[in-house]
Amino acid sequence: MSTDTDQKAEDRASAQDLALKDIEGSVILIQGVFKPAVFNLLPKGNGNEVFVMEGRPSLESANTTCQELLGRKIRPTLIADNMAGFLFYKRLVKEVWLSYQMADEQGALCQIGGLILGVLGKRHHVPVKLYPSSEESKLMGKQRDIFYFQGVKVAPANIKGYVPLMEWLPREYITEIHA
Amino acid sequence: METKTIKESPLFWPARLKGPVLWVLDETLIPQKLKYIKVRNTKEAVDVIRKMKTRAFGQFLVVMQTFLLEINNVGNGGTGRGPSLRLLNKIQKTAEALNNSRPTFPFAEVTSIVVRWARQAIEKKIDIRVFVTKSIEGYLAGIRVRRLERVRKIAALIKNGDSILTHCNVSGELAMAAYLCRQQNKQAHFFATETRPYFQGSKLTAWELQRMGADVTLVADNAVGSLMADKLINKVIVGSDRSCANGDFANKIGTYQIAVLAKEFGIPFYVLTQPSDKVKTGRDIPVEIRNPRELLTYLKRKVVSGVVSGFYPGFDVVPHELITKAIAIDVH
Repeated sequence: MSTDTDQKAEDRASAQDLALKDIEGSVILIQGVFKPAVFNLLPKGNGNEVFVMEGRPSLESANTTCQELLGRKIRPTLIADNMAGFLFYKRLVKEVWLSYQMADEQGALCQIGGLILGVLGKRHHVPVKLYPSSEESKLMGKQRDIFYFQGVKVAPANIKGYVPLMEWLPREYITEIHA
Repeated sequence: METKTIKESPLFWPARLKGPVLWVLDETLIPQKLKYIKVRNTKEAVDVIRKMKTRAFGQFLVVMQTFLLEINNVGNGGTGRGPSLRLLNKIQKTAEALNNSRPTFPFAEVTSIVVRWARQAIEKKIDIRVFVTKSIEGYLAGIRVRRLERVRKIAALIKNGDSILTHCNVSGELAMAAYLCRQQNKQAHFFATETRPYFQGSKLTAWELQRMGADVTLVADNAVGSLMADKLINKVIVGSDRSCANGDFANKIGTYQIAVLAKEFGIPFYVLTQPSDKVKTGRDIPVEIRNPRELLTYLKRKVVSGVVSGFYPGFDVVPHELITKAIAIDVH
């Protein structure tokens, strides 16, 4: 027998589903910072939602990318780096745009997190498009980069950190590479 | 008994009733402080749950012990029909308030157990206060034994030389298993994801693993693919907040993409579950969408400048086909 409490929970779930349904298959998921001209390629008009990964540890890409989008009158939606899978599971993602530093026939060197999006794209049959990065990044960050967020320490003392900033994305996970 | 040899993490049993007060570990203050919040009634219990002062198993403990609080608050008298019905009414209202605290964790499943005991007491014309209190205390004692058994199962799963990735926090069990492994002279390495936006991996998991003497390294949530591609981990162990009849489960946001990556790279994926058949599949689990402000700001400072929207699903769902093995405990 359904109770009032059950009904309230169902109503809440329905409301969420309704909101997500409105953007089903319309999300362009962006990771990294592209050369400015690349942002002009984003489709104009309604029907597209642009989601931006925050890009730990520096968040610099989220900041820069969000500013580029706002400058083009596109209001981005920020998500944490662990939330991409949810968008795929809910079938919201239309395509993925990743920044890359260099590429060859085997694959491309992308900002850290690119492999997660490549694998998710493959599993969910979502195109993964690569565009050139605006800047060269180091391969590894410092351990302490991950111990802080916005200048505030978030990790216990004397802990170790592993901070890759770039990773290789094999060709099998890439749909298009744009020069 | 081997049970007594397991060093306990504060996160293993983060809420304890002492007299008229439930002391709840404020997980948001770790690792800076180990401080307990005073909870005296249902309203305060819902508050600590909603504000994520406690989560996962802590929520379960708060729920069960809030009934004990409220039974105490009502005072003596439970055998006559009038007092019994008043107490049943109080228990039902407590259940309703707790059920509405957060959507994804199966609060209604947990509270319905207590409501059932209360109804049984009335049917059998026994002291509802005594019966429900004893039932909750016995039930929690049983859960404690089963969780300690599971700690040993996790330790048995971990082999010498393993490198294990975990996400968010599994309420003490993994850290205690790490301690057992050290006792058994097994060397294991742990990678903890930081788990944005609340950093449970940085603040809780890395902290408690370190307290247990485990070798632990912190990584950003986006470094998981790199770890797997570079063969730096050979097992994934995560917890769960809710299970389905078909084996799907919900856990902290980020678990799904870790499971997908593990499948892609052929890495065994283990989950600690509390099985339930109340929900058929993961598609039926209501996922809590939290206030985006929790993502867009940190300690009241904006994460990015400008008029930017945010989206913060608190959990995601892992389909059963991505799971290598569920390490379950029966909570019913």
